[in-house]
Amino acid sequence: MDLRDGFGSWPVLRQLTGKDRYGRAAAVQSGHSEQVEARTASADRVVKSVCPYCAVGCAQNVYVRDEKVVQIEGDPDSPVSRGRLCPKGAASLQLTTGQSRLHKVLYRPPHGSDWQELDLETAMHMIADRVIATRRETWEWESDGKRTARTMGIASLGGATLDNEENYLIKKLLTALGVVQIENQARVCHSSTVVGLGTSFGRGGATTFMQDMQHSDCIVIEGSNFAEAHPVGFQWVMEAKARGATVIHVDPRFTRTSAMADLYVPIRAGTDVAFLGGIVNHVLRNDLYFREYVLNYTNAADIVNDGYRDTEDLDGLFSGFNADTRHYDFDTWQVEGMSVPAASGRRENPAFQELTKNGASIRAACRSEMHGSGGVSLEGEPRRDETLTDPRCVLQILKRHFSRYTPEMVKRVCGISPDLFAEVCRHLTENSGPERTAEFVYAVGWTQHTEGSQFIRTAAILQLLLGNIGRPGGGIQALRGHSSIQGSSDIPTLFNLLPGYIPMPHAHQHESMDDFLRADAGYRGGWSNMRAYLVSLLKAWWGPEARPDNDFRFGWLPRLTGSHSTYDTVRLQLEGACKGYFLLGENPAVGSANGKTQRTAMANLDWLVVRDFNLIESATWWKDGPEIQTGELRTEDIATEVFFLPAAAHTEKSGAFTNTNRMLQWHHRAVEPAGDARSDMWFMYHLGRIIREKLAGSTDEMDAPVLKLTWDYPTEGSDAEPIAEMILAEINGWNAAGEPLSSYTELKADGSTACGCWIYCGVYADGVNQAARRKPADEQDWIAAEWGWAWPANRRVLYNRASARPDGRPWSERKKLVWWDEKERRWTGYDVPDFIATTPPDYRPAEGATGDASLSGIDPFIMQADGKGWLFTPAGVIDGPLPTFYEPQDSPVVNALYGRQRNPARVLYPGEHNRNHPSGNEPGASVFPYVLTTYRLTEHFTSGAMSRTVPYLSELQPELFCEVSPELAAERGLEHGGWATIITARSAIESRVMVTQRMVPLQLDGQVVHQVGVPFHWGSNGLTTGDAANDLASIVLDPNSHIQEVKAMTADIRPGRRPRGPALLDLVREYQERAGITENTGMEV
Amino acid sequence: MPSKEQVLRLVSQGHDYDEIATTLGIPPGQAYLIATGIPADNSGTLTHDERARPGILLSHPQRLVNPREVNPVTHGGVSAWIRSRIKPDKQLRAAGGN
Repeated sequence: MDLRDGFGSWPVLRQLTGKDRYGRAAAVQSGHSEQVEARTASADRVVKSVCPYCAVGCAQNVYVRDEKVVQIEGDPDSPVSRGRLCPKGAASLQLTTGQSRLHKVLYRPPHGSDWQELDLETAMHMIADRVIATRRETWEWESDGKRTARTMGIASLGGATLDNEENYLIKKLLTALGVVQIENQARVCHSSTVVGLGTSFGRGGATTFMQDMQHSDCIVIEGSNFAEAHPVGFQWVMEAKARGATVIHVDPRFTRTSAMADLYVPIRAGTDVAFLGGIVNHVLRNDLYFREYVLNYTNAADIVNDGYRDTEDLDGLFSGFNADTRHYDFDTWQVEGMSVPAASGRRENPAFQELTKNGASIRAACRSEMHGSGGVSLEGEPRRDETLTDPRCVLQILKRHFSRYTPEMVKRVCGISPDLFAEVCRHLTENSGPERTAEFVYAVGWTQHTEGSQFIRTAAILQLLLGNIGRPGGGIQALRGHSSIQGSSDIPTLFNLLPGYIPMPHAHQHESMDDFLRADAGYRGGWSNMRAYLVSLLKAWWGPEARPDNDFRFGWLPRLTGSHSTYDTVRLQLEGACKGYFLLGENPAVGSANGKTQRTAMANLDWLVVRDFNLIESATWWKDGPEIQTGELRTEDIATEVFFLPAAAHTEKSGAFTNTNRMLQWHHRAVEPAGDARSDMWFMYHLGRIIREKLAGSTDEMDAPVLKLTWDYPTEGSDAEPIAEMILAEINGWNAAGEPLSSYTELKADGSTACGCWIYCGVYADGVNQAARRKPADEQDWIAAEWGWAWPANRRVLYNRASARPDGRPWSERKKLVWWDEKERRWTGYDVPDFIATTPPDYRPAEGATGDASLSGIDPFIMQADGKGWLFTPAGVIDGPLPTFYEPQDSPVVNALYGRQRNPARVLYPGEHNRNHPSGNEPGASVFPYVLTTYRLTEHFTSGAMSRTVPYLSELQPELFCEVSPELAAERGLEHGGWATIITARSAIESRVMVTQRMVPLQLDGQVVHQVGVPFHWGSNGLTTGDAANDLASIVLDPNSHIQEVKAMTADIRPGRRPRGPALLDLVREYQERAGITENTGMEV
Repeated sequence: MPSKEQVLRLVSQGHDYDEIATTLGIPPGQAYLIATGIPADNSGTLTHDERARPGILLSHPQRLVNPREVNPVTHGGVSAWIRSRIKPDKQLRAAGGN
């Protein structure tokens, strides 16, 4: 060894003997590090991309060398994420290139005990054969004498982690095959958002966007652990705070979000309607509402039908309730002068009433979600009282309805002290008005309840009263948790919707297109052009086959006959009627409520196709699932054929994710996937191609829709990947000259335009992929309109006409956003005006006007039939026109507000493995004395399929735990770091115990309520394993959206590990017996 | 290793970082780092004072270290493919007056 070289390379010596005495430059670099080169430095290219985890939509740079992804970093140009990635996003290199991914097709034959390898081509043909056979076997032309043209034998689940283009092909192909049971994570995560926001404002997406949060003067985060579940988005809360905003966190747990808040408000899980209702009451009682805004921009002045009876009159029920069907009739909820056209002419028809069980089958079909982009269709002109004093006007009804939601009641129900409650009210009201705005932020802490839609409705009412919608720093921010869960709602892999929130036709109501449009299309507002949207969709799907003389092949759409949500599918699987199942990036064995029901239903299938990165629990339950352990299922008895097809990562395919704020961002294919891994775009396209080849020449009427489907997408690459830009162009639409359309206003009902999703029309304007635009944030204003593209029409703050006074001037200079330019005679501003650009503020429509002309210059909610924000929903929300507090299905507390304990319209699924608990003071309720809530961690992702297999993330959060207060720990003898068993009537799980003061026992009305928090990410597979918290949940649903209640349950907790094998069943059975649980428990109306 | 003063002098003379890199024989991102003390990949949040530093690029300095960005916004085959879709659709063309 040359000593001079050796010592010479010693950094300290170099530092002391060279010019860099302070060691601030190259002197301190060691010989080793001098040789090391950053992976980014030697990359061949840097491909622009988007993080595949949550829906904040953080931009990524994907570094590629020698056709391999070598590094993934945040893209600092993004106006949303500004270069930041959370632990999950930062680990996406390991997600996409790590050893946990499988690249080989696997096959489990009926009754087989292990996997076999299968080549991809063979697997595709086998799957195609099974689709064809099952479809033939289960085809149904009619139901109850009405044409359905469908199969209930096949179902699909998944899409929220996939690109819009993939969702589009899934929906298009499966619909053409007659499959109606098409669902994704949006059902179980945010379907109630669509209902709550859509019926209130006319669109079911967040009303604002991430960066606008910086302009807020007060941010209330409730039902969300924003800082941990959407960490990168949380920077905008911190920006607001730095500018002086007050941040309030309302949550059952003290979290990192609480730590950054100015005010933390602990609340009993599931009682948010009582809390928010209390604020509504405070605002109304003290005349703190924004009168000019409320009078002009909401339906506060509308006079409600004199037959309307409130929950005040009927002890927790509204008028119109039918206890037999558990459904409401909307008749008495109408406002005078307006009515729901769907009802006209039908009520008098006894056959229709019998067929639909008085309309129940139609309402059960989640019609409320069609308001994801378009309010309820109403005819007529509302009678209004501009003085807001008529006892039947909406404002007065609101006052009476919420009058019992006093601070004392909030204390009794939520466990929040009157002083703390008053502080929240003060901050919120002092920061609302012409000069100031407040914003609400929520996530699944609000959505996943039996009245989840009404949680969101309550916030919508409050924000309308305070004048906070459509204004900078205001609005309601819905935080979605999958990269394209918004996109999979917009281009819905959902049973009840067609692209752009056009409802799927119902067999009992929609025999022809005219019937369909008569029932659901609006006559006023933006929804009045539904015929053009629908015809353009049918032209995109069936091209030359869709003509006026055949109703544009409207008859080829399969029909609904009720609810066909993912939970209904499970029931059909248990009954044996649903035989084939596609799981496309979704893991219901862990992620859906009541895992046992999910798994036993899959054990009843003929065939199952699982497409994912690795062997998730939904792929292996037949071999090592909990029911195998308990002996309830035996592998050799299970006849289900299982195909596992490896999926491509986001770096291996092109496409767009739609983030939580309706913004589409394109990610490019950086490399081709290895082995058999393929995108879902590839899978659907080639599955369709093979099925069509096999059916070629068929004259069977049932095959025509799929054979005539436009299915000619060009491919590229060695793997024949469909070109995603072509699919995007179809989604965008074109005219007869072959020009991409620029806006949905160009769509025509005469068949001269084709468009796959009307709300996305414009994303390919001028032949440019607008979703791929990446003009750096530093080169734009804060709106950053040239980064990606947001629906509708690239508007970022929805309903922004409301940011100006009725006369068109901004409410204040400080809160200026969009205003009327008298000189130019058009609306202008920082954002794209969400209004008809040339309609002046003083425009008033002529009597009988329809469409856009029916909206006055003071109607900011342009998708609503009356142009107003709805404080009161005369139709559209099927469990009441106003939010009403009911206890969760399982609750340790008696409903202090009404005689009704639970939401009377909730959807129940009786079943041996889906028992409910007694509640309140019902006998046996004390067996399950604690409130249980579930939640997400920063380091894990939903069912864990994309995180428990990633070493970095598994190391960061290696084990399932539960959080309990020191008081509860003492009461039950739980030790910090020890084991606990948590038991419900469905199952029992074990976890480590975290005793923490972050969990606060709540003092209610003479009752102490303890809460237990459990993350829901664990399952039996992966690098870190544990019991699945969703096994504890029952399937009980919000009637509007069919979302399950998993954020507020009851349970018992005790020290020690759970029993193994059949003894686990004995434990659950013992608890059921002690609590006296039967099939009737908790089933009352 | 070039000094900060050297790089800033070239900046003040109107040279961009690519030219400076060629002149000094170092990568452009390194020239930027020397001049500003800020990594060109923009991996940190800049304070107001940092944004005012001589030589700072207020937008997209990552170009200096990521010169081979791939972000196409058009696709050559789309127009022809749309036309191929329209060609057999007589009804669409007739309704549109084409």
